[in-house]
Amino acid sequence: MFTVQRRRSLMAAAAMTTASVLALAACSSDSAEDPETSATGGSTAGAGGSGEEVTLDFAFWGNDVRADMYTQSIDLFMEEYPNITVNSTFLDYPAFWEKRQTEAAGGGLPDVMQFDYSYLRQYSENGLLLDLGPHLGNEINTDGFTEQILGIGVVGDTTTALPISTNAWGVYTNPQLLESTGVADFAGGTWDDYKAWAAEVTEASGGEIFGGTDYTGRIQNFEIQLRAEGKNLFNEDGTPGFDEARLTEFWESGAEMRGDDGSGISQQRLEEIYPTSGFGAGLTASELTWDNFGAGYLGELGEDYTELGLVAPPVTVEGAKDLYQKPSMLHAIAQNTEHPAESAMLVDFLVNSPEVGAIFGTNRGLPASSAMRDGITFEGLDEQIRAYEESIADRLGDAPPVPLVGYGTLEEKFRVLGTELGFGTLSVEDAVSQFFGEMDVTLNS
Amino acid sequence: MSLKDFRVKDDADQERVTQPQPRFTRKQITTAIWFVALMSLTAIILYPLLWLFLSTFKDNSEFGSNQGLLPEDPTFDNYLKVFEGIAGVPMWRFFANSAFIAIMATFGTLLSSSMAAYAFARIKFKGVGIFFAAMIGTLLLPFHVVIIPQYILFNNLGMIDTYWPLILPKFLATEAFFVFLIVQFMRGIPREMDEAARVDGAGHVRTFTSIMLPLIQPALVTSAIFSFIWTWNDFLAPLMYITSPEKYPLPIALRLYNDQTSTSDFGATVTASFLALIPILLFFLVFQRFLVAGVATQGLKG
Amino acid sequence: MTSTVNRVADATETSTSAASAGSEVAAPGKRPKKPTTQRTRHWRENIAGYGFLAPWLVGFLGLTLIPMLYSLYLSFTRYNLFQPPQWVGFDNYIRMFTEDPNYTQSVKITLIYVLVGTPIKLAAALGVAMLLNYRDRGAGFFRSSFYAPSLIGASVSVAIVWRAMFSTDGPVDNTFSFFGFEIGGWVGNVALVVPMMILLAVWQFGAPMVIFLAGLKQVPRELYEAADMDGAGPVKKFRSITMPMLSSVVFFNLLLEIIGAFQVFAAAYIISNGTGGPAGMTNFYTLYLYKRAFSDGQMGYASAMAWTLVIVVAIIAAVLFRTSKMWVHYQGDSK
Repeated sequence: MFTVQRRRSLMAAAAMTTASVLALAACSSDSAEDPETSATGGSTAGAGGSGEEVTLDFAFWGNDVRADMYTQSIDLFMEEYPNITVNSTFLDYPAFWEKRQTEAAGGGLPDVMQFDYSYLRQYSENGLLLDLGPHLGNEINTDGFTEQILGIGVVGDTTTALPISTNAWGVYTNPQLLESTGVADFAGGTWDDYKAWAAEVTEASGGEIFGGTDYTGRIQNFEIQLRAEGKNLFNEDGTPGFDEARLTEFWESGAEMRGDDGSGISQQRLEEIYPTSGFGAGLTASELTWDNFGAGYLGELGEDYTELGLVAPPVTVEGAKDLYQKPSMLHAIAQNTEHPAESAMLVDFLVNSPEVGAIFGTNRGLPASSAMRDGITFEGLDEQIRAYEESIADRLGDAPPVPLVGYGTLEEKFRVLGTELGFGTLSVEDAVSQFFGEMDVTLNS
Repeated sequence: MSLKDFRVKDDADQERVTQPQPRFTRKQITTAIWFVALMSLTAIILYPLLWLFLSTFKDNSEFGSNQGLLPEDPTFDNYLKVFEGIAGVPMWRFFANSAFIAIMATFGTLLSSSMAAYAFARIKFKGVGIFFAAMIGTLLLPFHVVIIPQYILFNNLGMIDTYWPLILPKFLATEAFFVFLIVQFMRGIPREMDEAARVDGAGHVRTFTSIMLPLIQPALVTSAIFSFIWTWNDFLAPLMYITSPEKYPLPIALRLYNDQTSTSDFGATVTASFLALIPILLFFLVFQRFLVAGVATQGLKG
Repeated sequence: MTSTVNRVADATETSTSAASAGSEVAAPGKRPKKPTTQRTRHWRENIAGYGFLAPWLVGFLGLTLIPMLYSLYLSFTRYNLFQPPQWVGFDNYIRMFTEDPNYTQSVKITLIYVLVGTPIKLAAALGVAMLLNYRDRGAGFFRSSFYAPSLIGASVSVAIVWRAMFSTDGPVDNTFSFFGFEIGGWVGNVALVVPMMILLAVWQFGAPMVIFLAGLKQVPRELYEAADMDGAGPVKKFRSITMPMLSSVVFFNLLLEIIGAFQVFAAAYIISNGTGGPAGMTNFYTLYLYKRAFSDGQMGYASAMAWTLVIVVAIIAAVLFRTSKMWVHYQGDSK
């Protein structure tokens, strides 16, 4: 009897469902319009702010160390502008974005946000970020920025974000491990030179440590090879700058660094030490990565380490401008802010103030604004990173187009396929076809 | 509903213990085997927790390089760092926030879920079947797809950055798990027990409070334990609704020592999560004592 | 004193007859002196029913139902969280089954996780609960110890500990080596990741254990004492007293653990840092759904995944409810 009753109930529930769908469709468009509706109330305050009591919400991602730095900086800002109160909130990176995605859908983004390059196009194209154009040169001082760096935050023809800092691709090396194996630091050269060098380190250590990690797992290495050949990873129109053959060639070139007998650390070993990285655990002597990861590595390696090597990545084509400066972070203002002028003042303070620079050092990457750089006494690793970005000036080209919507998905897919190649659970051929399949779905949806 | 109602004397138990045992030695042997078996199981089950505890004395650089049980160079730095708090918010604040939310949520869950369960298990009213099916139905949908509509709802109610979105649903029995759990226990209670009360002229309210609630003590204790612990550990709801760091509960605070984009302090992370365990372990220790034979067992004696 | 077995049989019979009596449980003969008509009694029951159900009803209609129905609607749309949803009919459902290898892989490992993990976890929980129920003195310590692993929240600490346990030369590897099985570390072995996740679930068996314990506490002790006098062995006692008396709780745990296993999320998210790796072996259904919704901005597709899961689990639940008539005994059933 109970079951009969249940079945009837389920059917009734199904009927209720159909009836409500139409009503809900209406709700959805309402919520999507929210940001625009409230935005019309903004843009009244003129340059320099209105001087009235204003409260701003400010969100950033980071750990406890960065949170302390922001707290100090915000205190300085509120001292300087006593009429503005800033409520800051912070989370770790994945949680930060999950919350922003929900707020974006539900209409409640904070006024000012620390922003990531990979989400910039999505938020900009959907009209969620304020056009900073009217504020550049007014509330926001742009004297300290090069044209190239200002251009990084432009989507379409609109500046929707301002880079806080830049980073560039590089090779970190571990001086202590190299000393113990007696191999000299990587002196530059081709990708083959790099592989030979890594193999030498692995061999010299007797397999205790490894020369590096299979670099074909990172899409950035593929990108700089493509750039050296005069192509983009992805073009402005969303088409890829490579074909199946090129990707196959790239993945096949990493073969000797993979597997249990490879010259690179095995994927198995990397899984076991997660969440530490191979380089951070002192198991690999080199790592191709963004230059702002140095501080993290030093923290993971512990007190015995005070310095790391930082050299330029292998060369694909001699003389090519394959490297570029990427914003490690940006600041953006929500389209729905009620106080655009005051928000712009906060952004200006956080990207330009030498005092803020003195607090952060290179915690957020190498500051993009020279005004902020002037506030920093570069020492140790900070100085190394600054000098590195200067040293690669010859290889620095224009930044590629702002990552397309779904770039994060593709980057992650690329990384996952790389690990599968490392495990040997997938052939290069299958990996290539899976990646093109994912591109199809992501780029066309 | 106070704790007093839970504390029911366990006569059956005491009798058993004080009674002279006829076959003394055999009983002793069984008990010894029982003890040894459980001890070995305990050792296996607790080993990872012991590992976690000892790793609170490891320096951050040992994570990744030393996966053994003992720290190479024991340090208290992790504790010192955790007690410093995060960005000006003292650590005790996160504990207090979590405790407040968990206590309110547990109270709300017990009250609303036991009421709903009584309606489902003991009252014949129109629509009971539909609602029961709907209640089970709410268990089946992965909650990730309702996050956004619920956020919009609470945003429109102006409840963002308050504890209302975390507590209000508990007073409205939205966790079907508890309703269904209590229903199942109520259906395990002989019907004659409350029928008798009803015959004596007691209404549903009195039958519920003075007959049913004492009878389902084990279910209520179980629900209280789970509700408290799960709320204590809940991450997603506070992530969505709480914005001010000084209102964060522990699960959000715990993640703030890690940043995949710069540095991570695993030593502080394990230490903070170990400290977060202690209050709920104490909560469990206290409440599991009420997990004893309820009055229901005496009911069948006659 | 009648034999225990008969007694339980009696109890069962009573409940079955009560069930078949349906809404006429309150037999006229039992009624108090004040004559009340059927009608007013129905009215009173309805008022009482809705009164007791009021908080749940408000929550269901106000907080749960609308978001649920909205997600059902979204499953027929393309919705990237930013633009209004666009109606696409069954496209999401079709794509899921025909052109998404990740989906197929995710379904496969989730099914293994449910089919293998749930029975092991429930057996462990029931076994330990019965062991614990044997004696009350000292049981508090053991209860707490066994529940302790279930206290850990979804923190990266779980990932750190669990990976350490299953690494090369970690305790698990060493134990197997001691018995002559050289299988190496589990964490980095694609074939052993799902078993490792199942063991994590089994390790956290505290919740069903406590529910079983609470259920065992409701079994009248004198039933066992009587059976002892009848000379019944442990197996007979388990089959004719424990199982029938515990069946409603077993049913609850079975249903809820199956639902929980299908929806496993936190463990996979923490262990893999949200990636579902290595090689997609922790990309369980709900984790994959979550990634599609929040990382890839495909909320329509994720909703379609969610409702596919609802249908599958609803069918399983319906089958369980239907068969439960045969093996679940309710003392005071009214349904």
